[in-house]
Amino acid sequence: MALDRRGFLKFIGGATAGILATPVVWKSLDDVSIWTQNWSWIPRNIDGANSYVPTVSKLCPSAVGVKVRLVDGRPVRVLTNNDHPLGGGLSSIAAAEVQLLYSPSRMKRPLKRTADGAYVGITWEEAEAILVEGLKKAKGGDKLAVVSGDETGTINELFTALAAEMGSKSCFLMPGEAQSAAKAWELMGGEGQVGYDIEKSDYVLAIGANVLETWGPVIRNRHAFRVGRPHGEAPAVRFAYAGPVQNNTAATADVWLAIRPGTEAVLALGLANLLIKAGATSPAADFADFKALAAKFTPEQVAAQTGVDAKRLAAVAQELAKAKRPLVIAGSEFGQGGGAAPVLAGLALNALLGSMNREGGIRALPYARKVVPAAMDRKALLQNDLVAWLGKVASGKSAAPQAVVFYEANPVYALPQADAMKATLAKVPFKVAFTSFLDETAMACDLVLPVPMGLERFDDVDTPYGCGQVVYALAVPALAPLVDARPAGDVVIGVAKKLGADLGVAAFADALKAKAEARGASFTEPSATNAHVSNAVLPVNGIALRADVLSKAIDVKAPAFPVALAPVAKLNVGTSKTATPPFNTKTVRRWEIQGKELYVMMNGATAAKLGLQKHDRIELSNPAGKFTARVNLFEGVINDTVAVPAGHGHTAFDEFSKGKGENVMRLLAAGAEPGTGLSVWTSAGVNIAKA
Amino acid sequence: MSSFKEFKIKWGMAIDLDKCTGCGACMVACQAENNIAPQPDASNKLKSLNWLVVYELTNGKPFPEHEVAYLPRPCMQCGKPSCVSVCPVIATDKNEEGGIVSQVYPRCIGCRYCMASCPYHARYFNWFDPTWPEGMDKTLTPDVSVRPRGVVEKCSFCHHRFMQAKDKARVEGRDPNALNDGDYITSCTEACPNGAIVFGDVNNPAHKVHDLVKGKYAFRLLERLGTDPQVYYISRREWVRRLGDNYLENEKVKG
Repeated sequence: MALDRRGFLKFIGGATAGILATPVVWKSLDDVSIWTQNWSWIPRNIDGANSYVPTVSKLCPSAVGVKVRLVDGRPVRVLTNNDHPLGGGLSSIAAAEVQLLYSPSRMKRPLKRTADGAYVGITWEEAEAILVEGLKKAKGGDKLAVVSGDETGTINELFTALAAEMGSKSCFLMPGEAQSAAKAWELMGGEGQVGYDIEKSDYVLAIGANVLETWGPVIRNRHAFRVGRPHGEAPAVRFAYAGPVQNNTAATADVWLAIRPGTEAVLALGLANLLIKAGATSPAADFADFKALAAKFTPEQVAAQTGVDAKRLAAVAQELAKAKRPLVIAGSEFGQGGGAAPVLAGLALNALLGSMNREGGIRALPYARKVVPAAMDRKALLQNDLVAWLGKVASGKSAAPQAVVFYEANPVYALPQADAMKATLAKVPFKVAFTSFLDETAMACDLVLPVPMGLERFDDVDTPYGCGQVVYALAVPALAPLVDARPAGDVVIGVAKKLGADLGVAAFADALKAKAEARGASFTEPSATNAHVSNAVLPVNGIALRADVLSKAIDVKAPAFPVALAPVAKLNVGTSKTATPPFNTKTVRRWEIQGKELYVMMNGATAAKLGLQKHDRIELSNPAGKFTARVNLFEGVINDTVAVPAGHGHTAFDEFSKGKGENVMRLLAAGAEPGTGLSVWTSAGVNIAKA
Repeated sequence: MSSFKEFKIKWGMAIDLDKCTGCGACMVACQAENNIAPQPDASNKLKSLNWLVVYELTNGKPFPEHEVAYLPRPCMQCGKPSCVSVCPVIATDKNEEGGIVSQVYPRCIGCRYCMASCPYHARYFNWFDPTWPEGMDKTLTPDVSVRPRGVVEKCSFCHHRFMQAKDKARVEGRDPNALNDGDYITSCTEACPNGAIVFGDVNNPAHKVHDLVKGKYAFRLLERLGTDPQVYYISRREWVRRLGDNYLENEKVKG
């Protein structure tokens, strides 16, 4: 039927009348107006009485002293604790620690991996039974390995004692500055733990060591910086930094000496040469050898090897010589893999400057005595090299252990050549992780055991590496665990018992008490800090400068790759154990991560040489691995070097960090430092091509 | 602009840019204190909401002459705030002793005129309701209300801490209008491990900030716009001070 004009008008008229008559239109409009105003629920504040618990952060590598604010027992903030010897401000991890209690990645119950690879929740009784069964198979002859991510806690004594009872000495700490320093100090003949009295120094030269971000007790260091640099006035303490990237430490330093990655020791010897020429000397028996070695590092030679500006180098040497209480701190730009040579050369510089065993200089701090009889003490533990051991396991030189226990450690993510490390660990039949978060390592384990977070447990921090004083800080729980977690120490004691071993302590709390006593601390009275400070130092006598070791260890080769690689570590992106805390995504800089893409930094001259522009997508590759990223131009990077932000590219965790950016550890390959045998991975290079 | 009140007490900051390393602790402490929701993807800085942002400054020179500085930017609490004069509903006002520019969320109609007028980009609009990962809302402080979608928010100099300090003074029988230096400080000031921020009453000679803002190297952002900010910056570096305002090429920089 054809629709004529009249029919069409009739239809329109009818439809209009129908619409006006029906309530549907009016009802819908009414509903829309209601529903657009019917706003979704947002949280409301809950008031209550305030209370404060002084503690120390076990989560932040700076071991910052804090206090937790609770409202009716509900933790709401981590606050600055100015009275604490490790406090005086917050780190960006510690500031987010309360919120991390509710992280989506938090482990809520014990998990076991089933045959099809899926994880299922189990009870603690089941979990402990599986753990005991797994460990039984690893009895005798180094079949059990322990990897701890806690450098300062008494908990290590329990784990290493368990290993010892099982006949194993394969106990390792995750790589850090402390190991390199312990090795260097031992080679020099020093006793105890090397300490740096930054607080009383008037000139601090950090070579590599990122003292305001990743080296040592960062917040304590920053506090010293704060005191030495009165607001708006000329600084009372000068800070100089040498490193390949203008990082957070370099940003406020009075001098930035740009040097190529991995050339810290060369720079230190270059300075030593200038100081010796200017009359510096040392009573060390091998001073003549050292002088002869240093003489090889002429300013021209140092400039050629490190890329440093010779004039700036001379200026720093003069400033060091003029300073009353100079202090040299050497380490790795990203807090690991630097080897012993830079620290050794740095300590030798201190010796030349008369900074040994002096206020504002180097201190030898006594180790605390062991409190678990069978345990490995800190000195022994620091001598074990996890990366080297895994390398041996990978190559078949060492047999793979039957079981590995990881305590708050994430080696699958955080070790150099992360992919290869993961493959190596796959050889181990039984792997257990004690962790608060479901991280990459936990995802590779057969059994995952939740531990209470630092704010929920008793724990301790004993004199972090870098501290100029003995500091013993107790972590006390601000709240009961929010999840079904058990303190690892007590689990270990229980498991040891079931395996027929007596560790000599009935509970972890007893071990902490004994350790506090060993440090001369007493926590019987309420305290504003729960921390103890002691001025105990060991004599520093007969220090050798070890030119023999340095001459072997300093092995600057012509670069094998066109572009050197400089990882840049920052605390705001979290640690390998936490990934980026939810509150910290906003602190990641615009041209560091965009969406899921990582930006890497290079200066304009390097980019021009490589034919690159800002935002270009590139592939970084070397035999260790490869990934793509985009280019950010940042002039605070030395020539022919690409600076890669570390701490990204997680394959586990949650929407706040998973799959964002790339993990720079995949491009780092460890080698052995000649002369010391320590694993080093600060001299990597990459090929860069447009992707 | 001449109709703005003068106050006997003027809370202000002196931020030493030569001490800031850009670590971000202040930003995190600010979010936690003021109940700002986390964002899984905050890489689009136009869409991320943060009362305090740390900007990266560069002297613009190529390597090796390059220098970098970081500039934390809270609300400037302007003496002559352009946001107040454009707000059609008096949701933002400068009317209380202390000189903190208020932001009254229940009054805000979300027109965002204030955002357009603020020369410091210190104001943020809630495009969506804030959400926290499951359970994390239990860590909200009781001091600052959570803002719904559709309103503008900004740094309040932790105004609740001001109220708490005044209450404490009253309880202790002291004059709440004569707080001692340090009685009231913001969360970012407290968190900064480098002590880059000094907070206090700019008008009170007993407060450290009083002298700091008069220092040779003190400057304010876009000072010549006439907004009279209560946040001062300090830098001994000429190039940093130059970036604080739109100087002509050969013009002498303040300080």
